[in-house]
Amino acid sequence: MAGSKEKELGRVPLRERAWFKELVFTLKRIRESPLSLAGLTIVAFFAIIAIFAPLIAPPQPGRDPYVMPRHGYLATPKPPSDEFPFGTTEGQYDMFYGCIWGTRTAFRVGLLVVGGALAIGVTLGALSGYFGGILDEIIMRITDIMYAFPGLILAMAFVTAFGVGLDNVIKALILVGWPTYARLTRAGVLQVRQEDYVEAARAIGASNARILLKHVLPNSIYPVVIVSTLDIGSMVLTAAALSFLGLGAPIGYADWGQLISMSRNWILGEAGNPFAYWHTYTIPGIFIFTFVLGWNLLGDAFRDILDPTLRRR
Amino acid sequence: METKTLVGVFIVLLIVVGGLAYIAGKKAAPPATTAPPATTAPPATTAPPETTPPPMEVKNPDKLIVATIGEPETLDPAWAYDTASGEVIFNIYETLIFFDRDKVDQFIPIIAEQVPSVENGLIRDNGTTIVFPIRSGIKFHSGRELTPEDVEYSLERVLVMDRDGGPSWMLLDPLLGVETTRDSDGNLIVTWEQIDQAVEVEGNNVVLHLAKPYPITVLFQILSQTWSSIVDKQCAIEHGAWPGTPETWQDYNNPEVPPLQEADCGSGPFMLDRWEHGKQVVLKRFDDYWRGPANFSEFIIMKVDEWATRKLMFLKGDVDMAYVPAQHMKEIEGAEGIRVYKNLPTVSNAAVFFTFEVDPNSPYIGSGKLDGNGIPPDFFSDINLRKAFAYSFDFDRYIEEAWFGEAARTPGPIPQGLPGYDPNLPMYEFNLTKAEEYFKKAWDGQVWEKGFYFELLYNVGNVQRKTAAEMIKENVESLNPKFKIYVRGVEWPEYLKAMVRRQLPMFIIGWLADYPDPYNFVFPYMHSSGTFAAWQGYSNPHVDELVEELITTSDQNRRIEICRELTQIYYEEVPSFIIYQPLGRHYERTWVHGWYYNPIYPGVYAYPLWKG
Amino acid sequence: MGGMRTYIIRRLLLIIPTLLGVSILVFSVSMVFSPEERAALYVGEGGFKAAARIQAIIKKYGLDQPVYVQYYNWLKNVLQGNLGWSKSLNIPVARAFTELWPASVEIAIYAAPLIVITGIMLGRISAVHRDRWPDHISRIFAIVGWSLPTFWSAIVLLAIFYGALGWFPPGRLSPEAQSIVHSAEWVSYTGLYTIDALLNRNLFVFADALRHLFLPVLNLVIVGNAGIMRVMRSSLLEELHKEYVMAARTRGVPEKAVINKHAMRNAMIPVVTMAGVLVAGFLTGLVITETVFEFKGLGYWAAHAATQLDFPAVLAFALFSGIVFVVSNLLVDILYAYLDPRIRLG
Repeated sequence: MAGSKEKELGRVPLRERAWFKELVFTLKRIRESPLSLAGLTIVAFFAIIAIFAPLIAPPQPGRDPYVMPRHGYLATPKPPSDEFPFGTTEGQYDMFYGCIWGTRTAFRVGLLVVGGALAIGVTLGALSGYFGGILDEIIMRITDIMYAFPGLILAMAFVTAFGVGLDNVIKALILVGWPTYARLTRAGVLQVRQEDYVEAARAIGASNARILLKHVLPNSIYPVVIVSTLDIGSMVLTAAALSFLGLGAPIGYADWGQLISMSRNWILGEAGNPFAYWHTYTIPGIFIFTFVLGWNLLGDAFRDILDPTLRRR
Repeated sequence: METKTLVGVFIVLLIVVGGLAYIAGKKAAPPATTAPPATTAPPATTAPPETTPPPMEVKNPDKLIVATIGEPETLDPAWAYDTASGEVIFNIYETLIFFDRDKVDQFIPIIAEQVPSVENGLIRDNGTTIVFPIRSGIKFHSGRELTPEDVEYSLERVLVMDRDGGPSWMLLDPLLGVETTRDSDGNLIVTWEQIDQAVEVEGNNVVLHLAKPYPITVLFQILSQTWSSIVDKQCAIEHGAWPGTPETWQDYNNPEVPPLQEADCGSGPFMLDRWEHGKQVVLKRFDDYWRGPANFSEFIIMKVDEWATRKLMFLKGDVDMAYVPAQHMKEIEGAEGIRVYKNLPTVSNAAVFFTFEVDPNSPYIGSGKLDGNGIPPDFFSDINLRKAFAYSFDFDRYIEEAWFGEAARTPGPIPQGLPGYDPNLPMYEFNLTKAEEYFKKAWDGQVWEKGFYFELLYNVGNVQRKTAAEMIKENVESLNPKFKIYVRGVEWPEYLKAMVRRQLPMFIIGWLADYPDPYNFVFPYMHSSGTFAAWQGYSNPHVDELVEELITTSDQNRRIEICRELTQIYYEEVPSFIIYQPLGRHYERTWVHGWYYNPIYPGVYAYPLWKG
Repeated sequence: MGGMRTYIIRRLLLIIPTLLGVSILVFSVSMVFSPEERAALYVGEGGFKAAARIQAIIKKYGLDQPVYVQYYNWLKNVLQGNLGWSKSLNIPVARAFTELWPASVEIAIYAAPLIVITGIMLGRISAVHRDRWPDHISRIFAIVGWSLPTFWSAIVLLAIFYGALGWFPPGRLSPEAQSIVHSAEWVSYTGLYTIDALLNRNLFVFADALRHLFLPVLNLVIVGNAGIMRVMRSSLLEELHKEYVMAARTRGVPEKAVINKHAMRNAMIPVVTMAGVLVAGFLTGLVITETVFEFKGLGYWAAHAATQLDFPAVLAFALFSGIVFVVSNLLVDILYAYLDPRIRLG
C-alpha cells in the first residue's frame, strides 16, 4: 500500500509543482527585460536558420550536407556575388552554405555538449548528494581536479589524446563541462534531501531510486538546467576556438570556427585594397558573435532569476 | 582608486605605446602605406624576368634568409631522415663525394680526392672494393684537421646507430647485405667484425668492402647525402656519441635520442650559430672552409607558418627565398623583384593502391561479403576490378584541378627525370565506357549485379589526396547506383594503423625518394617485400627477380631494359596506378644568383649562391 | 599569523593530489588508443617507411604494457624532471619551457594590469552613472567583449592594424631588432625584450618590442575586462546602497569621497575573488592570441603541439596551467583574507 500513498503524495496539481512555478517565473522575467527578449529573438532566429537549413541552402543530393560544396579549386576567395551571397573562401567553398549549415553545427555542438555534460553531471551530483559518504568524497575530489584547469586547455589535452575531429571536440567538452553541473545538483539535492516530503516518502518505505527520481531530483534540478542553457554560448565559443586552432572539424566541414581559420591566409588583402577579402573573416565572425551574444543576453536574465536576493520566496 | 588617475594612467600608456610603436615603425621597416614599392619601380606588367635591374636595393646583402615551414627534427646526420633536417645538415657537413650541381648521377669529389672508377683503379674486385683517397688540409669547425679515421668513424657510426625508421639501411644494405641490425624482437643480428671490416683505413685511403656487387651510381648517391656526412670524431664523442670502441657498440644501437641533436661537428661552408626551436636556424660562415669562405656571413632558415606573413616578408624583400604553397601561386605571380622557376620534376609521386587480401576483420569493408553492402577481403585480387578503377580516374582533370596543372603523369612508378623513365610506355586513360566494361567482367558479373560498398581513407591535411579520393568516388558511383564508396579522412595514426594491419581495401599514399635511382621506386611499389607491395599482398616472382637484378647489376643499358619491362608489367597487372608526380617551383628574389635545381637536395644549398 | 602559515601549507599540499589526479585522467584517456596508433606518433607523418618497424617501436617504448606500468614509468620520469620529448619542437619539454616562458610572461605583465585597471574603471563609471548613457555604453562594451571570440577579434585587429595600416606587425621582434638582440653586445638579463632593452639602453629594441606587444595585449584586454567590469559594477552598486554609505552621505561627505574612500574598497572584494576566473581566461586567451599574432610563447607552442599530436607537450602545458591556476587561486584567497578581516581562515 506504500506505493499508492506515495502516489498521492506525488500527485500535486500542475500549478503547485516547483518546476512549473519556476518556469512561469522565468518567462515573466524574460518578458520584463528587453535585453533578454533580444537574446531570445536572436536564439530563435538561429534556431529557425538551423531547422530550415536544407531549404535555405539546399545540399547536393547524395552528399554529406555538412560538407560545404566547392565551386572550383582555386585558392583565392571570391567576393560576395549574386551566385554566392557571402562569397567563397579559400578553396572556393561556398560561405553562405557554410554559415547556414554552420548554424546547425553550432546547435549540435552546443546541445550535445551541454546535454552530455548535464546527463553526467546531474547523475553524479545526485548520487553524490543523496548518498554522501565515500562516493560523495570521490566524486567531489574529481570535480576539484577538473576545476584546477582552464576549460579550453584541458579540452585541448583531451582532443590531443582522442585525436583531432569535431566528435572528439564534443567528447572533450563534455568531459570538461560536467563538474559544474555535478556540484550544482549536489548542492540542490543536499537542500531538498531534508525536506518534509522526502522524509515522508522515506517513512512510507519508498526505495532510494524512487525518492531520488520522483521527489529529490524534480525539486532540485531546475537551477542546473537554467545554468546549463546559458553555457551553450560559451561551449560553442570554446568549440569554435578549438576548430580555429585546427583541432576541430576537418577542412571543408560547415563550421564557423573552421571558416575563420580558413580566412587566416587572407587578412592581408591585396596591394591597394587591404580589405579585399574582408568577407572571409567578417561574416563567419558575425555569425559566431551574434549566436553567442544571443545566449549571453538570455543568460543575463537567467542569472537574475537564480539570484536568491532577487527572488520572491 | 581615483577615476582620474586611472584614466590618466591609461591615456599615458596609450600615448607611450603608440608613440614608441610609431618610432619603431619609422626606424625599422617603413609601413607599407607610406612607401609603396610600386612608385619607385616600373609597373609590374612590363617587367620581364632577369633583364630589368633589381627594383629595390639589395636587402641584407651579407645574409641569405629563407622562409619555410618545416622544423628540423635533428642535426645528427646519422639520425636525420627528413628534408628539413637535411637542409641544415648538408650546409654544415660534407660528404666524401657530392652531386655535380644539378645532375643526379654524376659526382664530384669533396672529402675524397677523386671519384672512384674502374678506370682510375679505385673500384676493384668486381665492384666490391671501393677506395676513397682522403683529401688533406680539410679543417673541421673545431679547427682540427680531417683524417681518414674520422671518415671511418662517421660511416661506421651510421651502421652502429641504425635507429628505428632511420636512414641507416641505405648503408647497411650495400656494406653488410642486411637492411637492419636487429630482428623483429630487437635482438642484434650483426657482429662487430662485420661492421669493422666494411669500412677500413689503409694509409691515406678509406676502403669500403661491399657485401655484394652494387650499382655504383646508387652507392654514390647514398654516399652523397646527409646520412653519409663526415663528422669530427672527437667532437662527436664529446657530445656523447659512440666512442668508436668495439666493446660498446651495442649500447649505441637504436638510441632513444640523437646524440648530435644540436651539435656541429662538421667541415662544411657554414657552422651552426644557433637553433631557436620553432623559430629559426641561424648558420654563420666558416672562414677556414677549404674551398674558400661562402658569400654570406649568415644563412638563416626561418620557420614562418602563416602564409600571410611569409608572403609579406617575401614581397618586401625581408627574405630571399620562400616556400609558396601551390594554392597560393597566383598571388605571387608577376610580383616585383621575384624570380620563379617552374616545372621542376620532383623525385616523388603518389598512387592509388589496391589491397589483394584485406584483413577480414577490417572495419572498412562493410559486410565483408559481395552483397552490395560490403566487399569480400580478396575483392581487389580480380584484375578486372583494378583495371576498371584505373579507367575511372580522370587523370587530366585531377592534375588540372588539384595541382593547377603542375604535376606530371608517368606510365609507372619511375618518375620523370630518372633513368629508366619512358614516356612512350602505355598509361591508363580516363574512359568510363571501358571502366564499365571491366566492372561488368569483374567477379563473373556479380560486382555489377550486386554492387559494393567500402571505405576509402585518406590522411587529413593532404588536400591533393583528398581530392583524388573524392574524384574516384564521384566517377565510380556515376557508373552504377549500386556502387558505393565512402570517403573518410582520418588522422595519420589511424591511417598508419589501418595500413599496417592491412585493413585498407584501397589507399592513396605518396613516395619520396631516398636516392634518385629507379630501384628506389620499383622496389616499394612492386617487389613483394617492398613497403607498399607488402601491405597490398602483391607478389609476382618474375617481378621480384627483375627488381633484384636491378640492384645487382651496374650495366646501365640492362638496367634501363629492366625498368621498361617492369613498367610494362605494372601497366598490365595494375597493382596500383600512379596519379601524379608533383612538378615543383622555386621562388627567389631576383638579387639572388647561382641557384640551380637538383631534385634530391633537401633544401637550399647556400655555398654556390650570392646576392647582388 | 600562524594560522595563515598552516593554511598556506595545507593549500599547497592539496595541489599535489589534484595534479596527480589530472595526470592520471589525461594519461588514461590516451590509453584508449591501440599501441600501433601511439607508435605512429613516434614514427611521424610520412614515416610509413618506418611502418615495417612499428612492432619494434611498440616494444622499445613499452606501448603494449599494462596501463599502470606505462603510467608509473611516465610519472617516474616526470618526477625526475624529465617531462618527455616535444616532437613539435624537437627538444625536451622542460627546455621548451625555459626557452618560451619570457614571451608569455612579457604579454602577461602588460596585459594583466591593463585588464584589471580598465575593468575596474569601466565598472565604476557604469555604477556611478547607473542607467545613464555611460552605463549603457559600458554595459554594451562588456557584453560585446564577453561574446567576442578571441581568435576573431585578433584576426580583425591584425587585418586593420597590420594588413591595412601596417603599424603593428605580428611576431615578437622585427628582423633588425632580432639581430641586435642576438649580437654579442646584447646582455640578456630576463629574456623579456622590453625590460632587457631598457637595461641595455637600447630605445630602438624597446620600441620595437612594444610595437609587437601592442596588438596581443589589446586583444587580451578587450576580451578580458568584460568580466571584471560586470562584477565591479554590481558590487559597487550594492555597496552604494548600504547603510554606511547612506550615513556618510547624510553627514555631508562629498559624493566623490563617499565612493573613493568608502564604497570602492569594499566593492573590490568580489573583484579579487574573480581573479581565479581571470587567470583561467587569460591562459586560454594566451593560447589563441599568441597563435594568431605568431608571438612564439608557451601558448603558441601548446596550440601547435596539439595540432601535431605532440602529447607530452600538451600534457605538460596543461599541468603548467593547472599549477598557475591553483597557485593564483591560493594567492587570491590569501589576499582576500587580508582585504576582508571578517574572513577567518579555516
